[in-house]
Amino acid sequence: MDMMISNLAQQRQVTEQLRREAAIKRISVSQAVQDIMKFITEHEQEDCLLVGFSSQKANPFREKSTCTVL
Amino acid sequence: MRRSSVDASIMAADAQKKGQDAKLEETCGSMGDAPKVRLVTKKLLKGHINKVNSVHFSGDSRHCVTGSLDGKLIIWDTWTGNKVQVIPLRSSWVMSVAFAPSGNFVACGGMDNMCTVYDLNNRDNTGAAKIVRELAGYEGFLSSCRFLDDTHIITGSGDMKICHWDLEKGKKTMEFNAHAGDVVTMSLSPGEGEQGHGNVYVTGSVDRTCKIWDIREEKAKQTFFGHESDVNSVIFHPSGQAFATGSEDKTARLFDLRADQQLALYTPPNKTSGFTSCALSKSGRFIMCGSDDHSIHIWDSMKNQHNGTLGGHENRITSICLAGNGMALASCSWDQNVRVWV
Repeated sequence: MDMMISNLAQQRQVTEQLRREAAIKRISVSQAVQDIMKFITEHEQEDCLLVGFSSQKANPFREKSTCTVL
Repeated sequence: MRRSSVDASIMAADAQKKGQDAKLEETCGSMGDAPKVRLVTKKLLKGHINKVNSVHFSGDSRHCVTGSLDGKLIIWDTWTGNKVQVIPLRSSWVMSVAFAPSGNFVACGGMDNMCTVYDLNNRDNTGAAKIVRELAGYEGFLSSCRFLDDTHIITGSGDMKICHWDLEKGKKTMEFNAHAGDVVTMSLSPGEGEQGHGNVYVTGSVDRTCKIWDIREEKAKQTFFGHESDVNSVIFHPSGQAFATGSEDKTARLFDLRADQQLALYTPPNKTSGFTSCALSKSGRFIMCGSDDHSIHIWDSMKNQHNGTLGGHENRITSICLAGNGMALASCSWDQNVRVWV
């Protein structure tokens, strides 16, 4: 935390900011991780990198075959 | 005075230590292993004739904009690989680009110390998108910008500040000192409904910290320590509860807002190069980082396992961006190419 404090007013502001940030309510790491795990599990099906495309038609990047008009 | 600021820091560090009741890898023991991510270059977008520095997807998950030192912005249709628009810039020193979620505007800036906004639906007689705003007054390079919507943009710059602009009025609505070093990256929290984003955003800086901000306020909400060198890239977790980072210190990390601390540290098998950019998959399960070593590294964010490496680029990767629908990853590099991985 190297900050160049040039005068008292600035130092006061920095201290107040540090106090504000120190005073917030925190949850435990285990709770935070569990909540994220829950989110991931709930949204698994939306994640193409996890479940892939449901069918090739759902993939807009696929090569489209040429169509002939009869 | 110095004593009370030290006390406050100690108070915060103690509270964080108390919260460390578990390690991420252990808590996720019950999760199944993640499958190997299968991503290949589906489109190799050629067109730029110099290093490409930044890429960003539109809200339609189909178009993306890239900015290059060749002095051009190119709007690509990633589904076909076609160039939709080429915008010549007044300054070729572009470092950062942004696509408005609506798809109507793009913004860019860099060593010209300005942020320029272009209207993609309004072209001049040469066919190039018209400039709607030139946002000046920066005392440092423009390193990052993000549209809140079609009329509001926030920027981070080399003068260590964050600025909020009203694009309709062309006026700065907020300007404040943000970090103790260049602000180099920012990410908006995900949101519901029309707005598309929440009221919170995260910034990363050369001062090695990340900070959380409320878009309505000028003082940071939280500061995150841990990185040992420049934080080059930040990206919000889709849950809105966390964010991931990529750093010059050759690590990627996951920080949680409510625990107010780092949850995980990710390193590649050969820890040789810094990370320039990062992205998270749609569920948040995978974290991806673009690297100086020309590849994109992928990790299972929960089990902290390196999942794979995407090779192809022939030089440093400068920026990566996941489409909003999670289907494709765009990457750009000093090798002048843009790749779309699907």
